[in-house]
Amino acid sequence: MAASMSYSGVEQYNFDIVKKFSVMALVWAVIGMFAGVYIASELAWPFLNFDSPYFSFGRFRPVHTTSVIFGFGGSALFATSYYVVQRTCQTRLISDGMASFTFWGWMAVIVLADFSYVLGYTQSREYAEMEWPIDILIEVVWVTYLILFVGTIMRRKQPHIYVANWFYLAFILATALLHTFNNLAMPVDLFSMKSYSLFAGTQDAMTQWWYGHNAVGFFLTAAFLGMMYYFVPKQAGRPIYSYRLSIVHFWALGFMYMWVGAHHLHWTALPDWTSSLAAAFSILLLMPSWGGMINGIMTLSGAWDKLRTDPVMRFMIVALSFYGMSTFEGPMMSLKEVNALSHYTDWTVGHVHSGALGWVAMISFGSLYHMMPKLWDTKIYSNKLVEVHFWLATIGIVLYIVAMWISGITQGLMWRAFDEFGNLQYSFAESVAAMMPFYAMRAIGGMFFLTGAVLMTYNMFMTIRQGKREAAALEAKLAAKLAHA
Amino acid sequence: MSDQKLQSHTVQTTGHAWDGDLQEYNNPLPTWWVYTFYATVVFALIYWTIYPSWPFGKGWIGGLSDVTYVNSEGVTRTHSWNTRALYLADQNEAVAAQKPYFDKVDSMSYQQIANDPEMNGFILSAGKALFADNCAPCHQAGGQGVVGFFPNLTDDDWLYGGSFEKIHETLVQGRRGYMPAFSEVLAADQIDALANYVASQAGLANDAAKARAGDALFHSETAACFYCHGVDAKGRKEIGAPNLTDKVWLWANVPAAEGDESKVVAIRNVIASGLNKGVMPAWAGRLSPEQIKVLTVYVHELGGGL
Repeated sequence: MAASMSYSGVEQYNFDIVKKFSVMALVWAVIGMFAGVYIASELAWPFLNFDSPYFSFGRFRPVHTTSVIFGFGGSALFATSYYVVQRTCQTRLISDGMASFTFWGWMAVIVLADFSYVLGYTQSREYAEMEWPIDILIEVVWVTYLILFVGTIMRRKQPHIYVANWFYLAFILATALLHTFNNLAMPVDLFSMKSYSLFAGTQDAMTQWWYGHNAVGFFLTAAFLGMMYYFVPKQAGRPIYSYRLSIVHFWALGFMYMWVGAHHLHWTALPDWTSSLAAAFSILLLMPSWGGMINGIMTLSGAWDKLRTDPVMRFMIVALSFYGMSTFEGPMMSLKEVNALSHYTDWTVGHVHSGALGWVAMISFGSLYHMMPKLWDTKIYSNKLVEVHFWLATIGIVLYIVAMWISGITQGLMWRAFDEFGNLQYSFAESVAAMMPFYAMRAIGGMFFLTGAVLMTYNMFMTIRQGKREAAALEAKLAAKLAHA
Repeated sequence: MSDQKLQSHTVQTTGHAWDGDLQEYNNPLPTWWVYTFYATVVFALIYWTIYPSWPFGKGWIGGLSDVTYVNSEGVTRTHSWNTRALYLADQNEAVAAQKPYFDKVDSMSYQQIANDPEMNGFILSAGKALFADNCAPCHQAGGQGVVGFFPNLTDDDWLYGGSFEKIHETLVQGRRGYMPAFSEVLAADQIDALANYVASQAGLANDAAKARAGDALFHSETAACFYCHGVDAKGRKEIGAPNLTDKVWLWANVPAAEGDESKVVAIRNVIASGLNKGVMPAWAGRLSPEQIKVLTVYVHELGGGL
């Protein structure tokens, strides 16, 4: 029964595009996390710069962030959104050509962006470092994605739109809006990579962080909640805990996030009233964020034993726990007085990674582990390796976050310490020297996480091979039977 | 089993099903979730009352908390909470703590400051902060310098003199170290001879015949090295010409050269190409006179006095 259903499913849905994006999600995970481990190691052991501009932290850092956020995260979102929208609308994507264009276009964006950073081209806008020609390519790909997604929803054979699709659609719409306005710039010359922002000074910073935080809110949160809303109930085999909660927290999340970007600019030239608004809205965002966590974790109530037996489920639940933790930590850090200590320190870096590794990567791993065997119509090659991956990833995250908490708070305290004579107690260089053990610990945490991702890639490669072999064997059997008859 | 128990407690699903088995319960919002959300609303309202918040008319609501500070003209002002006023208030505190000490620095002589244990504590604290911010980028965190670039301040060898007055002069006016390139006027073998002579003066292995020739050149009008470095090659502090006999090297990277031959090569390179990079900026105008005085005593102590 199950086999025949998925066999007809191949006809019914465009799974080819989902397969492509799933594989590339893993490839970008390994590349991006390797770049991350490398730059983390540069901070601990600076000789790794090799006195070359091409390997320097400043150029490699956007290679890391772009490859993991847009390469790994983006590919995982394209893959799962195409999978979820087709299955929950019971209809095929409206255009295979458009789907294929989003794949090749998006891959071109990541490759071009990474190479341009290494060669020194950057807009110097965090998470939007790509220069204008790449921005235009993103715009075209993204609008295609929007048309494809909305068109598919409009052709649905289900009267209701499943909650995961609301989140995916909010992500696609908001990202289009954010990308467009944050990248308004005037090229120096039609044949020059260099451009200047249309905004200046504080307005420019405000626009950048309106983009920056909503990239976190809609790209790294709303979209992955969409993933969660499909794959957690599927893997648990249980209904979502509360439809009502999903509506309330969806709209609350969408409304609140747009206000909070300015909390990245506390204690700067930004007007004080603007930063107070952002701080308070960040606190208001706490419960809407937790709505998603509650809905995910409570979905498992009645099937808690799965946590013991199902390593894929464990990825998802740990992801939700880290989501809850970092959406609690974030609002706390947005308060002016806490931010006075945490701003510009490694605490921020640790916070981002508790969200990025703990939530985004873990929910993606869980969802891909659920989806990829189904795409190739087989079982996971090795559950044991999933188990090992889970522990490597979890230990890696804990090492990373703890190192950054300690070093961040140490930095914050050293920078503001005055002695009894009213003089600064430490020089900046002394605070840098104090970071050394924590930078090493962070790099090791990253190595754990990277090793896990490599294991997963191997496991999925073997799963795909196994799926192809089984399909070939089945076909051979059928052919033999037909020949006998 | 547990499934059955749960079913009897839970509410109905919404009645929709997607992709085969995807369903949704219609549980009410968790009460604690709703009340915690209300609590965050109350928090936000209080926060907006304390800090400047919503834009209103041509300005914004200033908030109930305020900050008192003394501005640069010495006038005490109170302003609704803002980062600039808070920064000034913080500065006021630091300046108030420093003031009695800076006043004393102003009225005491260098030697008095150096001999007063309490003032010495202040010099170590303020001097370290000033040195780290202004001097350490070149002279390094501990004042140890970099051979080939920046003088070591922790030894007893001073290019321009290590008395309080000379260090003060160096800080206020800055310095410019210069030596002409002799490859323009001397032949390669002459430069080699000079390098061997300098090596002999510093007690390094050298070619005795070349060193003798170098000795003659050093004191001749052709090379005229003695004009600046002195007849005894011990340098002249009034023009910052270094002592060549003390085994302390700044420009020729002799310590890094391995083997006697390459040590002579390091010296030869400096004679041939000269140097025009020994620039120390003038700090008068950038630092206050009291700050320069603090740094003078601090640097003097780094080198263990004269």
